[in-house]
Amino acid sequence: MTAGSHTQGEVNPVADPVDSPFTTRQLLRLDEALRIADESTGLTYSLYVGELDEPVRGHAEKLLAELPAPDDSVLLAVSPGQRVLEIVTGANARKRITDRDAKLAALSMAAAFTGGDLAGGVISGLAQLADRGGRSR
Amino acid sequence: MLIYVIVPAVIFAVVAALAMLGGSRRRGRRYRPGRPYEFTPVWFLSNAAGGAEPGGGRELAAGGTYRALPATSAAAGLTVQERPAGPRGTGGASDRW
Repeated sequence: MTAGSHTQGEVNPVADPVDSPFTTRQLLRLDEALRIADESTGLTYSLYVGELDEPVRGHAEKLLAELPAPDDSVLLAVSPGQRVLEIVTGANARKRITDRDAKLAALSMAAAFTGGDLAGGVISGLAQLADRGGRSR
Repeated sequence: MLIYVIVPAVIFAVVAALAMLGGSRRRGRRYRPGRPYEFTPVWFLSNAAGGAEPGGGRELAAGGTYRALPATSAAAGLTVQERPAGPRGTGGASDRW
């Protein structure tokens, strides 16, 4: 795959794939995981990977608020540089995904990240949250 | 006697070449905790959810348009499982590694 080519699917590798922390294959799996999570639960899942300004929790919540439907959204914010991750569930989403479910997903993600597996941790975290999110109406 | 030198050397060279070629096939630098993370922040969104995100991803400059929030003690530093709701009724969890 040549640098700069677009993958088929929704995720756009924003920069040259060489500049992304994920390989093209991982991006495809990530996109698929997001799509499945959205479709099976009806909630909107999104993933932010990058630096978070202090206070980290506040920045993550502000990011969620920027989404079109924040109450029905779930945001996974991962900052590998600061080694912190935040899961933010919207007001409606948190009735279906309890804070305890989110904490369990966060624990498994942190375990994967400790091993250096960024993509795998994120994808399995998404799968866990999607599974807990229940069925879409 | 030369055979005992050349043949192992050739085998060594072949194996080394395969190892190096196999390593470079992996695109993207492998993340390891503790190493600096210097990629631009990326925000992934499935395209089905709102066309507001062109191409399904939005690039944010680090610290670009984010304004400082008024101090809120609601969720700062809490890592217990039952946390009070955030400013807009949000929930979730945090963790570090």
